[in-house]
Amino acid sequence: MAEQETRRDRATRRLWPALALPGTFWLIALFLVPFYAVMAVAFSGSINIFGEPVPAWNPLDWKYGTFRQVVSDSISGPYQEVWIRTGVYSVLALALCIVIGYPVAYYTARLAGKRRGLILALLLAPWWINYITRMLAWVNLLQEDGYVNKTLGFFGIAPVSWLAGNAYTVVIALAYGYLPFFIIPLYASLDRIDPRLLEASRDLGMSPVQTFLRVTLPLSKLGLITALVLTALPMAGDYYTNTIVSGSPNTNMIGNQIELFLLQGPLKHYGASLVLLLSLVLLFFMGYYLILTQRAGRDAR
Amino acid sequence: MSFDPTDPSVRPRPRPRLSRRDLLRGGLWLGAGIGAAPILAACNNAFPAVESAGYKLARPNDPVTLPFKDSNPPIDDGLDPETGGAFKILNYEAYMAPGVMKDFGAKNDVEVQVTPYSNYDEMLAKLRTPGESFDLVFPGPNVLSKMVYAELIQPMNHSYVPNLVNLWKEYQDPWYDRGARYTVPYTIYGTGVMYRADRVTSIPENGYDLLWDDQYSGEVNLLDDSSEAIGMSLLRNHISTDINTGNPAFVQEATNSLIDLISLVNVKTDVSAYSQVPEGTSTIHQAWSGDPIAGQYYLPKGETPDVLGYWRPDKPAARVIGSDNIAIPKGASKPVLSHLMINDLLDNDIALQNFGFNGYQPPLTKLSARYLIDRGLIPENLMSAVVLPEDFDFGLTFYEVTPDVEALWRQFWSEFKAGG
Repeated sequence: MAEQETRRDRATRRLWPALALPGTFWLIALFLVPFYAVMAVAFSGSINIFGEPVPAWNPLDWKYGTFRQVVSDSISGPYQEVWIRTGVYSVLALALCIVIGYPVAYYTARLAGKRRGLILALLLAPWWINYITRMLAWVNLLQEDGYVNKTLGFFGIAPVSWLAGNAYTVVIALAYGYLPFFIIPLYASLDRIDPRLLEASRDLGMSPVQTFLRVTLPLSKLGLITALVLTALPMAGDYYTNTIVSGSPNTNMIGNQIELFLLQGPLKHYGASLVLLLSLVLLFFMGYYLILTQRAGRDAR
Repeated sequence: MSFDPTDPSVRPRPRPRLSRRDLLRGGLWLGAGIGAAPILAACNNAFPAVESAGYKLARPNDPVTLPFKDSNPPIDDGLDPETGGAFKILNYEAYMAPGVMKDFGAKNDVEVQVTPYSNYDEMLAKLRTPGESFDLVFPGPNVLSKMVYAELIQPMNHSYVPNLVNLWKEYQDPWYDRGARYTVPYTIYGTGVMYRADRVTSIPENGYDLLWDDQYSGEVNLLDDSSEAIGMSLLRNHISTDINTGNPAFVQEATNSLIDLISLVNVKTDVSAYSQVPEGTSTIHQAWSGDPIAGQYYLPKGETPDVLGYWRPDKPAARVIGSDNIAIPKGASKPVLSHLMINDLLDNDIALQNFGFNGYQPPLTKLSARYLIDRGLIPENLMSAVVLPEDFDFGLTFYEVTPDVEALWRQFWSEFKAGG
């Protein structure tokens, strides 16, 4: 009997790593290999007949001149403003997501009752339509004689040139585009809060506002951070939102700069270097997120 | 630090079970390590400058005859055209009339499919994609030689293209492809400024100045094309008449002037003047000459072509001109049909039908400016959009340049795109 159990234990021990194999291969094939390819382009030292960098697959052949120049241009050169703009737009769009998304997630998790399923379905509805298609629809709505300006005119407000290359249009469009990414994880976090804790808070004499500030908000902090991370990561590399609703160099984000280098002209090693730099910046924030989750896990224990 | 098994204070710990969070953290450090490697290795290896393309670059005063290669022969004479399946064209969006494609497909029992691109870089990338094959492609002279030397296109067999005689004489033997070995011209065009004539009250002597006029702020667009935009700035600011210059100071000065447009008029970039100006979303737009002509078909209901205007310099020697050509990719699956479609596109009637859709002139002798105007295809107020043979005798055109000049222009363009 004991021998049988040992055999079963051994089989179980082998089963879990075996189950992890497809995921590991998936990660290697779809993350590490492309990432290495980006590095091979970024650190290339020769060009082909089209003037494009020839990927340097051997790390011994890597040249770092382009990467150093891109870092330098990002710190104090022509790309500095693009990085700042990307950061500012992302922060403002995330703030909008919090202002709009938190109440929606809170209502869905705590107050929607029987309507919860319907609201969740509606929240997921934008994902049924392609992101770019949704943005193109906004171009029609935001035109000079579009419905948005017509609605503003109904209230006596002068028409706004939404599509004239404005920063606020880009920020609003980013917040709109990524709002579902923000609401869903936050909803999951709010939904997991034990209702008895809220009842206890009220029983102890706290007002609804105090209960929210002292119980709900702290308990949803991790969910909020997760939602922010999930939203911020794709937002920081976004380029199509900007291209569709602005098209002005005045609002270009780092994703647009990467797109320019990778899709237009031979300077693909510049684009690849910017990809690496963006990855490093995002890894820094990802690291902060991991530290926070680790702390939260420790506190929970 | 390394592990010393003889040190009693150091003991290997039992291997911990990995949690999901640990895996994430491991990935983080792996990623950070890979990403940080180049920073740590602070070598000073600059990307090499390449001052020569490795082959002779074509110039109007120094034409080239592109080489035939044994590894890339033309098709034999007298072959039967292929039938059935798809006939795949790699072309700009809306650059060939749907009616022309439909008729060709019906006549030859194939389905004509278009894969669009928005610039030559994208075209080259798609053409070089392994496993992809196209039957026709439309390169400009500034990318032609490299396509030949990289064996992306095949030589033509003129026995299938009797309509070559319909072309302007200079295009039967162009400077970038002596003997028309690999290409025939598809369209010719100039570059200028398209505007809404009902909003623009006066045209300055130097029409490029319209783009720098702050009364049109928010309604000004440049072509999203580094050569066209920087080249125009070189001319507008009298920096140089060499629109292929490799002088960094000139290119920088021209770029700085473009950067001024960002704060002055919040300039935008795209390649859709043909729809933006007629629809009124743009008032001033740097544009190719085909844009205003095609633009008349994009006007909202009730508006006439009178609301459109187009400016180009008066002197032919100050005009920017260009051409797109038709070529057959080396990997074409229906090369005989490719030749037949080229022959069709050089047919006067079919070319006229095509012009009625895309607004870009084919350089065919019969389809002169007068002929097109008489048929009502070009409104009188857009006469300046007509490209004449003398434009090609004296005009300025973009050539294929060396890799380092190309890189120089692209780097400055990236600074403009970054917002200055």
